[in-house]
Amino acid sequence: MGTQRSDRFDEVEWDEISRSRWFEPSRNTLGVVLCTLPIAVLGFYDWQVLGERTATFAFVGTEWDLGGIDYLFGFTLVLFAFYLVAPLYQNPRMTRYYWRQFKRNRPAVVSLGWLGVVFVGGLFGPLVMSAPEQSVLTGYQPPVFLSIDAAYVDAQTCVGDVVSGRCQGTWQHPLGTTQGGKDVLASIIYGMTISMQIAFITTTIVAAIGVSVGTVSAYAGGWVDETLMRLVDVVLSFPTLLMFLLILYIYGAGLGMFILIFSLFAWGGTARYVRSKSLSVSEAEYVMAGRLSGANTTQVVRRHVVPNTASSIITQLTLLVPGFLLAEAQLAFLGLGDSEVPSWGQLISAGQSDLSFAPWIVLAPGFVLFLTILAFNFLGDALLDALNPEAEAETE
Amino acid sequence: MTDEPLLAVRGLEKHYPITEGILNRRAGTVRAVDGIDFSVRRGETLGLVGESGCGKSTAAGSLVRLEDPTGGEVIFNGGGRAGETRNADGTHPNDVTRFDRRELKAFRRDVQLILQDPSSSFDPRMTVGESLAEPLRVHGMSDRDRRRAIGEDLLERVGLSADEYDRYPHEFSGGQKQRIALARSLVLNPELIIADEPVSALDMSIQAEILSLIRELQAAFDLSVLFISHDMSVVREVCDRVAVMYLGEIVEVGPVERLFDEPKHPYTEALLSSIPTPDPRKSVGGIALDGAVPSPSDPPSGCRFHTRCHRVIKPADVDVDRSNWRGLLNLRDGIESGDVDVERVRENLDTAAGGNGSVEDEAVKRRLRADFDVDEALRSAEAERTLGRALDRVVDGDPEAAAGILAEAFTTPCERTAPDRTEHADGHESACLLHTRGEAETGADVGSGLATEPTQIGRDRPTDRAGTAGRSDPENRGEGDGDGGEGRAGGADGGDRRGS
Repeated sequence: MGTQRSDRFDEVEWDEISRSRWFEPSRNTLGVVLCTLPIAVLGFYDWQVLGERTATFAFVGTEWDLGGIDYLFGFTLVLFAFYLVAPLYQNPRMTRYYWRQFKRNRPAVVSLGWLGVVFVGGLFGPLVMSAPEQSVLTGYQPPVFLSIDAAYVDAQTCVGDVVSGRCQGTWQHPLGTTQGGKDVLASIIYGMTISMQIAFITTTIVAAIGVSVGTVSAYAGGWVDETLMRLVDVVLSFPTLLMFLLILYIYGAGLGMFILIFSLFAWGGTARYVRSKSLSVSEAEYVMAGRLSGANTTQVVRRHVVPNTASSIITQLTLLVPGFLLAEAQLAFLGLGDSEVPSWGQLISAGQSDLSFAPWIVLAPGFVLFLTILAFNFLGDALLDALNPEAEAETE
Repeated sequence: MTDEPLLAVRGLEKHYPITEGILNRRAGTVRAVDGIDFSVRRGETLGLVGESGCGKSTAAGSLVRLEDPTGGEVIFNGGGRAGETRNADGTHPNDVTRFDRRELKAFRRDVQLILQDPSSSFDPRMTVGESLAEPLRVHGMSDRDRRRAIGEDLLERVGLSADEYDRYPHEFSGGQKQRIALARSLVLNPELIIADEPVSALDMSIQAEILSLIRELQAAFDLSVLFISHDMSVVREVCDRVAVMYLGEIVEVGPVERLFDEPKHPYTEALLSSIPTPDPRKSVGGIALDGAVPSPSDPPSGCRFHTRCHRVIKPADVDVDRSNWRGLLNLRDGIESGDVDVERVRENLDTAAGGNGSVEDEAVKRRLRADFDVDEALRSAEAERTLGRALDRVVDGDPEAAAGILAEAFTTPCERTAPDRTEHADGHESACLLHTRGEAETGADVGSGLATEPTQIGRDRPTDRAGTAGRSDPENRGEGDGDGGEGRAGGADGGDRRGS
C-alpha cells in the first residue's frame, strides 16, 4: 500500500493492492494460533521431556499434573474463546440483538446461569479446592441440616454432634461424604471439570468433522457427495456402545477413549444437517454476490456458508452434549467408566449400594447431572429461536 | 479511444442438459439462452427486455461467468484491455469465457452485477458495511480502516449515512438495501454494471429514486450499464439502446426512441402495447399474446414467436382474414398437442344446457370455433371445407387425423424459416420474416404498422377475446381489452393498409 492512501473507491490503485499478499489471517485466527502455541509447547515438553510420573508443573513447585485430555480441553477453550466469545464481543449490535431474542425465554436464561456456574466451577474449582481425599474415618457424613443414624456413623467418626442417637451434618461437609469419606461437594465440583471437558471436546470434534464433511459434500457434489453421505449412514447406524465395550475389554478405556469413540460416531447428524443447510445457503443471492466480488469457493464457504449454517449447528450441538453426559454417567454407573476420573457418574455409582441410608451420595450428583442436562436442553431450544433467521424475518 | 464496444456478446449460448434415469442419460436440452448478440458501448445504458423466463437473467449470469456459458464469446474490452486484436486461431484475447482464474478475478473488478432481490443479496450475519467492503477484502485490501473509510464514503454517496455501516441488513428497508447493493457494486470501481431487474422488487416511488440514483452514479463515474428488465416503461426511462429478447434469442435491437416509436418486431409491439398510458382517451392497443410462452426445452421451429405472433404470415393461397388465420393456427397447434379436449367441451356445454346429456356435434364445433376466434364461416370456401373436415374428425374423436388435415392446409412460413436480422436504420435491427420477405408473401406494407397508434380496420370484425381467457400471458397482457379486434390488427392481412 502506498503513501498516497486514498479513501475514495474510485482512486484505489488496484494494481498495487492485488499484487500484495492475499492471505491475511483474521485477528481471531491469529489469537488462536498465539494461544495454542504455548499449550502445544507445554504438551510436547510434558510428553517428551518429563518422565511419566513427574507432574507437569513440577518446575514451579506444584503437584498439578496435566493429562492429554487437559491439553485438548485447553485447546477447545481457546477455540471457543476466539470463535464464539470474541465475535460476540466484536459485533455488539448483533450480540445485543441475539440477547434480546434469547432473553424472552426465561428458563433458558436460568439455564445459562447454571451452566455458567458449572463452567466456572469446573474450570477454577480444581485450582482453588484440593481434590477429595479418602478418609475412612469420616465416611457417611450426612449433609448439613441432615442426620444419619449413629449405627452407621458413631460418635467417634461423626464430625458434627451426635444428637439423640443421630449424627448431625456440618458445614465441613455441606453435602456429606461417601463411604470412603470423600467430600461429595468437592467431588461434584471436580466432576464439573470432567463434564465440561466432555462437553467442549465432543462438541469441537463433532462440529469440526460435521461441518467439514457437510460443506465438502454440499459443494463437491457428485460421487464425493454420494460417498460421504453413505459414510454418514454408516456412522449413524454404527453400534457405538458395542464398539466402545469391545475396546474397553480388549485395551481398557479411559475418559479420553470414551470421548474419542463417542464423538467420532456422533457427527453423522451434524454433517447431514450442515449439508442440507449449505445447499440452501449456496443458492442464496448473497453467496452469488460473494462470488461476483471475486471470492473463490473456499472464501465464500468460510465467509458466508459456514457462518450461516453455524447458528443451526450450535443448537444441534447444544442438544448433543446432554447425550454424552448421560452416556458417561450410565457407563460409570454400570462400572464401565473410567474409575480414575472423579466424574458425577462415578460418584453415583459409588453411592448406589448405600442408597437406603445415605441417599445424598447418589442424589446430590444425580440432581446436578439432571439440572445440567435440563439446562443444555433449554439452552438449545432458546438458541434455536434466537438464532433462526427464518424466525428473525417473522419478527421483523 | 477506439470505437470498439466495451462489451461485445457474440452468439452467447447457455444450454442446460435435462438428464433422466440413474445413468444421467441426456434427455433434452433447455436452451435458456440460444445465441444472442449485442454490445454495450462505453458510457451507454443498454436495456435487455423480455418476459420472465426468456433468459435475460441467465444471459447476465453467463456473461459474468457466474455460470459458464455453453457457447459463444463475450469480449470485454475494459480493464486496460482495449485495442486487442484476435489471435491467429480466431479466439479473442479479451474473451471472458476463456479467462483463467487470475484474469477472471481482475474481470470481477471491472464488471459488477446488481442482483434483483435486495432482501436476500446481503448476508444476514454480516453488517452491511462488511458486506459492502467485502469485495475490497477479497481483492487484497487488508487495511481494515481504509476499507471502512471507503465503505462509509460510498454509503454517503448513495444517500445513506456513514454510521449505518455497522447495521445489519434486517434493519434496512428494501429501497435502502438496494442503495447499499448499488454501493457494493461500485466499490471496486467497475466500468460496467449489469443491473438484473434492480427495481422490480421495489414499489413505484422507490423505483424512481433508485433509477435516478443509477443515472446519477452513471454520469458521475462514467459507467456503462446493462439494464435487464421486463418493464418497458422503466427501460424507456433509463436506457439509450434496447435489445428485446424472446425465448433465448434477441428479436430486435435499436436506439430507445426508435424502438419505442417504430417497433419493427411484432413481439416488441406487443410488449410496448402493454405499457399503460396516463391518457384515458388514448386507447391502448393492448395486444394480448395468445398462448403461454413455449418451453425453452422445445422451442418452436422457425421464428420462435410464430406460435403467439399476432402478425403471423399467411401464405397467399389461403384467403382468410387475420384473426381467423391466427385462430386456425392456434386450433391446429391445440389439436396437435392434445390441448383440445372435446369431451371436456361437450361436458361443459352439457352442464350449461341443463345436463340432459344431448349435446349436438354442431354445438361442440361452434364452441371450438368461438374458443379459437374462428368465424362461423370462413371467407374462403376452400378453407372452410378443410376446417369443416378437420372439426368433424375432432368431434369424432380422431384428433390425429384432424391435426393432419389442418397441418396440410394451414402452415405459415414463419414456422419453417428462422428469420435473419434486418437492418432498418442506424443500429436498429430486427429478426422477423415480415421484413425479409414480407412484401413478397403477403403483398402488404408490413413495415409501418404500429400497434401503439391503433386504428380500426374496416374488414376486421371486432371479436370477443374474452373467449380465450386464460390463454394469454398475464405479464404482457395489455391493460385495456375493450378495443375489440384492435389487438389482432396488423399488416399481414391481404391488402390491408393502416391509416395514420
